[in-house]
Amino acid sequence: MQAVELRGVTKGFGHREVLAGVDLEIKQGARVGIIGPAASGKSVLLKLICGLERPDEGAVIVEGHDITSWSEARMLPLRARIGMLFQNYALFDFMTIGENVAFPLSRRGGISPSEIDQRVADRLRAVGLAGTETKLPSELSGGMKKRAGIARATVARPDIVIYDEPTAGLDPVTTSKIYDLLAADQKETGGTVIAVSSDVAALAAFVDEIAFLYKGKIHYRGPASSLADAPDPIVRQFVRGDVEGPLE
Amino acid sequence: MSRGRISGRVLEGIESIGGAALAIAREAGGMVLLLGKVIRALFPPSMDARELVRNLHKMGNRSVPIVVLTAFFAGALMVLQSAPFVQRLGATGLAGWAAGYAVLREIGPILIALMFSGRVGANNTAELGTMTVTEQLDGLRALSIDPIKYLVVPRVIAMMVMLVALTAIGDLVALLGASLIAKIVLGIEYSTMYHSFADNLSPHDFLQGIYKSLVFGGAIAVSSCYFGVSVKGGAVGVGRAVNAAVVAAAVSIMLLDFFLTYMNI
Repeated sequence: MQAVELRGVTKGFGHREVLAGVDLEIKQGARVGIIGPAASGKSVLLKLICGLERPDEGAVIVEGHDITSWSEARMLPLRARIGMLFQNYALFDFMTIGENVAFPLSRRGGISPSEIDQRVADRLRAVGLAGTETKLPSELSGGMKKRAGIARATVARPDIVIYDEPTAGLDPVTTSKIYDLLAADQKETGGTVIAVSSDVAALAAFVDEIAFLYKGKIHYRGPASSLADAPDPIVRQFVRGDVEGPLE
Repeated sequence: MSRGRISGRVLEGIESIGGAALAIAREAGGMVLLLGKVIRALFPPSMDARELVRNLHKMGNRSVPIVVLTAFFAGALMVLQSAPFVQRLGATGLAGWAAGYAVLREIGPILIALMFSGRVGANNTAELGTMTVTEQLDGLRALSIDPIKYLVVPRVIAMMVMLVALTAIGDLVALLGASLIAKIVLGIEYSTMYHSFADNLSPHDFLQGIYKSLVFGGAIAVSSCYFGVSVKGGAVGVGRAVNAAVVAAAVSIMLLDFFLTYMNI
């Protein structure tokens, strides 16, 4: 069964068409990375999968449910099974870091406060933020906020985890640690991972497959391990960072 | 000037008036839709109690000093304005009635609502606007939380409740201010002022102001929340939204006051 399926999805804002017919299938338990030039619609694609945006045309199917025309109220239970890390962290600035990470658990109910505290402490320790429970997001650096966002997105062990730039602003060592953690999480839960990152090399080491979003469509999809030698010259130029080439 | 040029300018004028009317209709429609969502979210009533208490404290308790200050001088001003007539006619027994009637029915609710809009409404728009541009609202939705239920409904209720409470406090302080200034400037005894209030003012005068403040609170809440959650364009957008929210609230207060007063007659 497919965890996520997009069929001919288009999405525009004003006169600008961001996605021009995206077709994408992601199997349950797969780890898929999405790359592409800046402003190519990667974040919009993730928000469509999470039901935070609606497509202008096409269909978005998540875990077998066609959510394209679902109301906000109908979407809420499905979103409880999806964890999302936002590009700008989206930490609630009126809550402490501990409250932010505990939020998905406390809202869900059925978990004792002591267990929530334990899981929050474990998750924060795992992302290297032990002891920051009482701090406010404004007291943390960008990289620390990113890690707190990861902790919040994964604390409830969702079936599908969506990471928008999970390692932006992190140093190479922390980046490796974070990807190791995400890989271990995925192995443990067997969930589906969809990640967008500008750090192509680190992303390719983490995911099984890479999809290249270009000019509003999935231009290329292939194994992450052979991305640098992809048959498509545009993908090769993007991955290698060559100035000259067919990439517009 | 040629006829074609004049007709071109007329068309431009009509176009800009039409554009402005459409923009106003769009914003007003957006506010009505938000109000509908808020009302729908109240059935069945479920909201985050912690968020409600946090907003009640932030919006109400912290507004008391500025409301007390404003109301005191509003009451005092009413007495100062009526002082020449009271002295000329020797109608000291009506000084309290004049000040009280104006304060309870009009000046109190309007002035306090405008202060509340400037302090609480603007702050609310800025807060929600910042949350919108930093994807915190999307963050809530991604965590299966309805932002209307979680953020907007407690704010609307808190603003309505607290504006009523602040108006009641403001009314009392305004009457005290009027009494104090009447004693200092006109030499009118406190007992005379008290009897002037008690004999000439009815509970209806007080309640009319309270009803108004309830409606004003709703208008400030809906406009400030609407402009906050519909922000576009980063920090500049937040600034524009705050400006629009304060203007919309002030216009709404004046319009609603007119119609509420008219209907009461």
